[in-house]
Amino acid sequence: MENLAQIAMESVNFQAIMPSLVLCCFGMVLLLVSVFLERGRTAPICWLSIIGLVVTGIISINGWNDPQAGFAGGVVLDNFATFFNLTCLIAAGLTILMSDSYLHREGYPVAEYYPLILFTTAGAMWMASGTDLMTIFLGLEVLSVSLYVLAGFFRGQLRSNEAGLKYFFLGAFSTGFMLYGVALLYGVTGTTKVAGIAEAIRLMPDASSNPMIIAGAILLSIGFLFKIGAAPFHMWTPDVYQGAPTPITAFMSAGPKAAAFAAFMRVTYISLDSLQVDMSAMFWVLAVLTMTIGNFVAIAQKDVKRMLAFSSISHAGYALVGMVAWNEVGFSGILFYMLVYTFMNIGAFAVLVLIGKQGEDNLTLDGMAGLGYKRPFLGVAMAIFLFSLMGLPPTAGFTGKFFIFAGALKAGYVWLAILGVLNSAVSLYYYLRVMVYMYFRDPVEDFSWVKMEMATIVSILIAIAGVLYLGVLPGPVMELAKLSIF
Amino acid sequence: MLENYLPVLVLIGIAVAFAVGSVVMSGLIGMKKPSAVKLAPYECGMPLVGSARERFSVKFYIIAMLFILFDIEAVFLYPWAVMFKRLGMFGFVEMGVFIAILLVGFIYVWKKGALEWE
Amino acid sequence: MTPDVATPFPLLSLLLWLPLGGTLLCLLLRHSSNLCRWISLLTTLTVLVVALGMAVSSIGGSGWLFYEDAAWIEPFGIRYTLGMDGISLLLVLLTALLQVAAILISWRQKQRPALFYALVLVMETGIIGVFLSLDLILFYLFWELMLIPMFFLIGVWGHENRVYAAVKFFFFTLAGSLFLLLAIIWLYLLHGGQTGDYSFALDALRQTVLTPGQEMILYIGFMLAFIVKVPLFPFHTWLPDAHTEAPPAGSVDLAGLLLKTGVYGMIRFAFPLFPAAAQKSLPFLAILALVGIFYAAWIAYVQTDMKRVIAYSSVAHLGFVILGLAAWNQLAWEGSLLLMINHGITTGGLFVMIAMIQDRSGTRELGKLGGLWTVFPNLSAFFLLFCLSSLGLPGLANFAGEILVLLGAFKADPLWGGMAVAGVVFSAAYMLRVVQSALWGESKKLARNDDLAVREWLILVPLAALVVLLGVYPAPVLEFLREPVSLLLETGGMP
Repeated sequence: MENLAQIAMESVNFQAIMPSLVLCCFGMVLLLVSVFLERGRTAPICWLSIIGLVVTGIISINGWNDPQAGFAGGVVLDNFATFFNLTCLIAAGLTILMSDSYLHREGYPVAEYYPLILFTTAGAMWMASGTDLMTIFLGLEVLSVSLYVLAGFFRGQLRSNEAGLKYFFLGAFSTGFMLYGVALLYGVTGTTKVAGIAEAIRLMPDASSNPMIIAGAILLSIGFLFKIGAAPFHMWTPDVYQGAPTPITAFMSAGPKAAAFAAFMRVTYISLDSLQVDMSAMFWVLAVLTMTIGNFVAIAQKDVKRMLAFSSISHAGYALVGMVAWNEVGFSGILFYMLVYTFMNIGAFAVLVLIGKQGEDNLTLDGMAGLGYKRPFLGVAMAIFLFSLMGLPPTAGFTGKFFIFAGALKAGYVWLAILGVLNSAVSLYYYLRVMVYMYFRDPVEDFSWVKMEMATIVSILIAIAGVLYLGVLPGPVMELAKLSIF
Repeated sequence: MLENYLPVLVLIGIAVAFAVGSVVMSGLIGMKKPSAVKLAPYECGMPLVGSARERFSVKFYIIAMLFILFDIEAVFLYPWAVMFKRLGMFGFVEMGVFIAILLVGFIYVWKKGALEWE
Repeated sequence: MTPDVATPFPLLSLLLWLPLGGTLLCLLLRHSSNLCRWISLLTTLTVLVVALGMAVSSIGGSGWLFYEDAAWIEPFGIRYTLGMDGISLLLVLLTALLQVAAILISWRQKQRPALFYALVLVMETGIIGVFLSLDLILFYLFWELMLIPMFFLIGVWGHENRVYAAVKFFFFTLAGSLFLLLAIIWLYLLHGGQTGDYSFALDALRQTVLTPGQEMILYIGFMLAFIVKVPLFPFHTWLPDAHTEAPPAGSVDLAGLLLKTGVYGMIRFAFPLFPAAAQKSLPFLAILALVGIFYAAWIAYVQTDMKRVIAYSSVAHLGFVILGLAAWNQLAWEGSLLLMINHGITTGGLFVMIAMIQDRSGTRELGKLGGLWTVFPNLSAFFLLFCLSSLGLPGLANFAGEILVLLGAFKADPLWGGMAVAGVVFSAAYMLRVVQSALWGESKKLARNDDLAVREWLILVPLAALVVLLGVYPAPVLEFLREPVSLLLETGGMP
């Protein structure tokens, strides 16, 4: 037997996991620091975690255009991963900025909140850079377990408990599906490497009619589709999104979703490329189903937080359109769209964070009446985010949808694009209704409880800047997204 | 390829049939003379005291969970110790990192008071 | 294609972004409504002066009078291309003029003035942008940008039924324009696939080779957006609601400017991009236009709300415009464009005056009005002038456009022309009914009985002067239209 250390050392490449490594270290240090602080002092942890995110971000940016593979091909830090890493980091950063005052208002000033977000982000980053189904699964679990805790973070609130438990049960269930898929694919191909599976399938003469491969591909997809919140695996989203603490809802709808898309794209695009025709057909149906269900159910919602939950389902559907297209434009469109969505959706939730009373029973449409006049800044901010969610120029929502639908049209899916556009028209109805309440109704409340918390405002401002920048001058970032496709 | 699995399928079928059959048959042809002792959850041993749905202090669970965590640590340490010479310095550092991570958790639960019984 | 005039100073951009600058100032200084008022007036006046200067400097010019081009979103080949020919120039002038009127008529805006003026200014940027863009995505951007302020103008400052009207307006126009977007992207991909040059530039896309089927689908996608905006029968149902519920400035903008963007979209984009499909569609357009003329006139006659009458009269007049386009000859097109401008001034004036009347009498209901002539002779005189122009009295603005359209229509098909003439008679019927019941008859109860104030004179005199001037001597306007129209008709645009 050779020197085992030699073998192990050769595949070790810390460069490839540097960002998530740094983030995890920060998380652990913060855990240690938090126990030595007095109870209820969360501000230092909050700021330290921001610093951790910034440091990680700088490290990620440094790795741009310098792909690093490591751990026997289980991890790769390419541009694709870096783009998603940055998206997740931005999501986490915006979330943390709006969290501190929120936690104090709701009566849960618990410092563990921040390390948990960092761990979630690290898990998301593993997912994005995993090139082995096991690595991806590992990332998925790190992400999920932290999120289960975060969703149920307000342990005294029934709704939050429900969210945590529901997410945990259904999440565990979907993980089972995914593992089963991994097992089947491993059974057929003898490897869990993304590239290896692709190779094995390519060499198989009748791959697309092999029941094991088909079952494996479908089960694997179910696991990802669950995390994305695509129909028909979306049933957990509304309850979990509504029950979870609002910043966590914002985070969940952006960061982890982006990571799930990243891993999903890598696996389908590389491993299952031979099954492209069948997979595209499946995604076609799912995309249409997801957009339609999300939009039509959102119309019936009176609670704005819940409405945004359904709208996030429909946005997952728009992003899936890029998967259907299965071409460079469609895939880079997803990258771009997830970044756009991070800004606009987290921004919208940040506004909700500010205007919520303790317990957040006032986040209904009626509760928004006259917001635009009583709190002009929040009104304008919300209007910008809503216009972006609708997909109107000159906001990022427009350029994002443009990118995605251009991909679908390029691949010849005209009807899909038309259905997507019709869905956008439907979505106008419920987004506009918020606007109607904000500006066309006389204020019922005076919004005197709203404290303009500096950090949350900063988070909103960053989101606005992102939405407008990506809407008006999307060129450079689009270029980066195109360079990020493997 | 699938036909290879036929024996497994047959085995599953027989197993299910046997299990279901035993339960159904004993229900059908068995004699039933219920008494208080027979219907108790445990037919032998101590007589029951109170309800089974009693609540335990959460501390038991915490201790149990921590035990499992550090037990796993020991599970990893054994094979590592066996191969220690071959792994050399790399193995030492690697295990050091592993222990350090667990140590962070240990300090955390300690400071949180999870190890204090009162 | 290269610009004929290399502009040393980006005048077009100045024209375009100046109002947006005013918006920002208004929002920053929102606590002083007086300041906002003056800022917005000065901004609109500056735009008007710049536009006038550009018009004067380009008398006798040909080709693109002004042109700007810069890279914008490079990965998709989207460029920031602005161009101004005679048609855009006149429409920009009209925009600048009516915006000044819109600001002046809402001078006493009490409810949230800063936001109001800010939105009116955003509107101006959007409309000017539509008239100047030569890149399809840029065009789409401004096309949508017009929508947002109008939605708020109707919804916040409108009359009784405002929320319904605002939402209906938004839905109709946006639903139409989403298909425009799809068609734009599809055309872009077809063109890029053929030539390898992915571009949204109008001139490039005109070279795309399309099968008749593709061409027709794309054409319909474009036209849906434009027809809804014009609006052509049967897509007009949003218009009466929007016009009626909008505040005065909103009505002026809607009738005077927004409707024109639809027509402009047709002649600048839809027809040149898909000439064969356009030719096939002309009879249908003519039929819809004729039905619209009669239908709208008929409905207008039974309206009791003055604003609704004028709203339906707009549908009828835009029917004439579309009929002129469908006739597809130089005369008719010049007439259509002239009618568009004249209709903008006339209808803008009418809405301004209805606001003044409503101010004084507290109602727009024809049944509750009467005898205004005896109380407000000056106001009534102006009102009569605009009404007469609207019904097409020779010597006033609308007549000049209508007669050209009718001549052109006769040239294309005598049947169309004949029916359209009958439509003119109809419009006389409903306009005279308005005049009769509002100005003559018994005096009703009034809230105020002061005649025109200085500010109101300032609005009305220029508009009235233009109504007379353009009616008597439209030649300078036609001069600007001649070359661009013949180019559009023959080759679909600049060579």
